[in-house]
Amino acid sequence: MSSTTTAELRSARTPFEFKSAAPLLFIEREQARNIEELLEALRTCPDGSIFQHTFRTLEEHHFIKEGFSNDFAQWAYTDLREVGLGERLTGLDIREFTSIAKLRERLIQIVEEFREATPSAKDSVSKTPFYFCSSKITVLPTQRSATNVVEFIEGLKQVSLHSIHYHFIEARLRRELETNDFSIWLRRDLGMEKAAKQLNQIDIYTSTLEGVRRKIVQTLQNAA
Amino acid sequence: MTERHGSDVESLEAGSVDSVKADEKAESNGQARARRKPQISDTPPPPPPAPTLADYEPIIGKSQVDELRFVARPLQGKRVKMVNSTAVGGGVAEMLNRLVPLLDELGVKTGWEVITGGNDFFEVTKGFHNALHGADFKFTPAAREVFLRNNEQNRQRMTFDEDFVVIHDPQPAGLIASKSGNSHWVWRCHIDLSHPNPDVWSFLQPMVEKYDATVFSSPAFARRLSIPQALFYPCIDPLSDKNKDLDESYIQNVCDNFGIDRKRPIVTQISRFDRLKDPLGVIQAYKMAKKYVDFQLVLAGGGASDDPEGAAVLQEVNEAAGDDPDIIILDLPPWCALEINALQRASTIVVQKSLKEGFGLTVTEALWKGKPSIGSAVGGIPTQIIDKHTGALVHSVEGCAYQIRYLLTHPDFGAQLGKNGREHVKENFLMTTNARRWVLLLGILSGAPA
Repeated sequence: MSSTTTAELRSARTPFEFKSAAPLLFIEREQARNIEELLEALRTCPDGSIFQHTFRTLEEHHFIKEGFSNDFAQWAYTDLREVGLGERLTGLDIREFTSIAKLRERLIQIVEEFREATPSAKDSVSKTPFYFCSSKITVLPTQRSATNVVEFIEGLKQVSLHSIHYHFIEARLRRELETNDFSIWLRRDLGMEKAAKQLNQIDIYTSTLEGVRRKIVQTLQNAA
Repeated sequence: MTERHGSDVESLEAGSVDSVKADEKAESNGQARARRKPQISDTPPPPPPAPTLADYEPIIGKSQVDELRFVARPLQGKRVKMVNSTAVGGGVAEMLNRLVPLLDELGVKTGWEVITGGNDFFEVTKGFHNALHGADFKFTPAAREVFLRNNEQNRQRMTFDEDFVVIHDPQPAGLIASKSGNSHWVWRCHIDLSHPNPDVWSFLQPMVEKYDATVFSSPAFARRLSIPQALFYPCIDPLSDKNKDLDESYIQNVCDNFGIDRKRPIVTQISRFDRLKDPLGVIQAYKMAKKYVDFQLVLAGGGASDDPEGAAVLQEVNEAAGDDPDIIILDLPPWCALEINALQRASTIVVQKSLKEGFGLTVTEALWKGKPSIGSAVGGIPTQIIDKHTGALVHSVEGCAYQIRYLLTHPDFGAQLGKNGREHVKENFLMTTNARRWVLLLGILSGAPA
């Protein structure tokens, strides 16, 4: 029988309330069949579209372990068949962005740079357009909360993957910080500085979201 | 007509395939060799009772069911009316049969009414349907009058005092004339409007734009409209006969009855005998791949008994198959959901090599069963098959043949595709996700706080 550790006993000043998010997709007006149209649409589409095709699509495709980064990259690879653009867009790490405006700027920059470097790409036309969509998010409470790390780990195991995405990935846009809800609570309420930092090092692009959940739990079990 | 090749028929323990002894008389059907005929029930089985939310919990998880209940909370006591043009048959009625009780259980009181009309009305609306898919259609003043008159008659007969009214497809679109200030109206379009006949669409568009929102099955099917357009992917019910888990013994018995050898790989396409499903292309791909790998090809579907073109396609398929005992052709009646389910589950690979497709729910069914799937990059298939992630997308007979060879010789990769495919369906294309989308949309329209 293992003994109870100090970290396990530590009680949070405020409980962690697990929430979740339910998205609803809408079809927007923008479409793109080539690089020029993609650029134009990236400039004019609603913020919800940038969010949907980057942050949200990771949640929709949470079961894919590698090779899927965002919808723009996927379209550039498989439909426009511009591998160079696909690679550049795949390299985009959404965790580096705390606002949609900055993410939009970066997307435009990547496409513009590719267009400059690859003049022949202007002739590439996709048979399948890129259809811009957007999502409206409804935030939901769950019935789970935690006041210490043991309860927190249990909650992490039980909540839906939508909840993991909401707290671990989407949080940076909401908070406009390069971190996540879990790390903030662990640092602020439990003083678990090291574990909080380790969570931010988990690679969301080489793991499924279920795998991300397992790594978070493992990190906390090791720290407790 | 149902045909089979192969070994002796054994008795079955479940479903609509009866215990049979093989038809001892060979049936030539104009082919070079005899074929045996398995016995299929002549009548549909009684429909199973609609599942409850609790029944879905083992499939999608308690947390997801809890979330669904929570999303529906602001709509408690609200009333919804669904309206379509048929109570039985067709995908919309099938979907409503499951959706309506689910919404009801979530506390959103949901009714379902079907419009009525004479033959002239349904001839016009069938013409509309084809025209909206891009076919030629002469939109005469008489057709316009028939459409408007029948919509008006239904409008006079029905009441619309619900909080939400959802109109499915173009047939009842004219009921929007009953929209009052307090209710929210949604037009759910299940068909592809990407290349509509301009005369028909310019007639319908002003009606459609009076709704508060529309719902389409794919961004590619939508039009540019002045109202919000939500995206609801079509869905399957994991608890329906077509998709529920089956006993291994039942799957074995179905295969035995159809002469399918489960010790050897099985590649299957489930589709109506329709040229747009390209069954001849599948046979070509089979012949190309068969030079390298051993497997059986199963082409199973319906449409040959009630459609002259289907019968002609079946004849062409039989001719292309010739006397190859490893091509098994099955023309099944529409109530063979359990048998289709068993065939999909018995398959090593499932193919959908359509030349044109709507959403392609047969692909969804195959992915749900965790099958490595090969699909043409048409219609809604690329939404489901993300190339090299949830399946293999192909653009030609040669591509299809190569992917069959590759997946049969790389079962681990195939298994990973199948696993991802099932997760993709679980996340995006199940009936419970559909119910969640409806309550979210109705909540947004009513401005209900989350």
